[in-house]
Amino acid sequence: MTTTAQALPEVGAVLSELRFPATRATAVRYAGASNDFNPIHYSDRTAAAMGLPGVLAHGMWTMGSALRIVTDWVGDPAKVRSYSLRFTKPVVIPDTDEGTEVVVKGAVTAVNDGVVTVTLEATCGTEKVLGNAVVEVVW
Amino acid sequence: MPISESHVGRTYEPTPPYEVSTAKITEFARAIGDDNPAYFGESPVAPPTFLAIVAARAWDRMFDDEELGMALKRVVHGEQAFTHQRPLRPGDVIQATLTIDKVRVRGAMEFVTVTVTIATTAGEPVCHTTSTLVHSREAA
Repeated sequence: MTTTAQALPEVGAVLSELRFPATRATAVRYAGASNDFNPIHYSDRTAAAMGLPGVLAHGMWTMGSALRIVTDWVGDPAKVRSYSLRFTKPVVIPDTDEGTEVVVKGAVTAVNDGVVTVTLEATCGTEKVLGNAVVEVVW
Repeated sequence: MPISESHVGRTYEPTPPYEVSTAKITEFARAIGDDNPAYFGESPVAPPTFLAIVAARAWDRMFDDEELGMALKRVVHGEQAFTHQRPLRPGDVIQATLTIDKVRVRGAMEFVTVTVTIATTAGEPVCHTTSTLVHSREAA
């Protein structure tokens, strides 16, 4: 069910689930595109020295990638008025070809004055990686 | 002297002017795996999280402030919020200004909440972002 929404949606409407892989390659690519060269996103040695469980995906990469569940649904990304969330657990990226997978679910939780609020949840394995994730879309 | 509550309210100089380009929008959209047609073609808009590029330059101002004793590699991103006034397009020339809003110290962990306002060089506000950064202080 990948339809582009037209009519004002109702509270409770569920968006099509989004899944995407996180690999060392996606992390390196995001580092270059965003100019965020924090070595915890590519160096096992630095990640370990910082007490982290492994190389981590950039939080902003997970945030940006997860938003596609909303922008695929509304079509026009310029309609996104606000987007806020908490990085509840890091996405740890093993150094394998397949990496790991992030799963994003979303549902409409409010509709007020032409603004549609979508609440997202993203998980990686059994960990919830994005919490309190709220997107406001101007309809 | 590490960062403390006494630094709340500190504001830094705006970042140097940054010109949004079609090439960077394309590169960024590809990096987040998003093939939305709005990001490609003749008159693309920037993805809603594109401003992380410029906001991070404003964070650098804080990491470069020796008085705070912070370093990017010791930072994990805790929370992030964007509120957009309008989408960015190629040719927009923007600057980011950071203000330290809140500092909470728990042992060696420093929770620093900052606001970054992004405006065109002509002074038109385009986005307001808030970030909570979790910094682990280096052992003395």
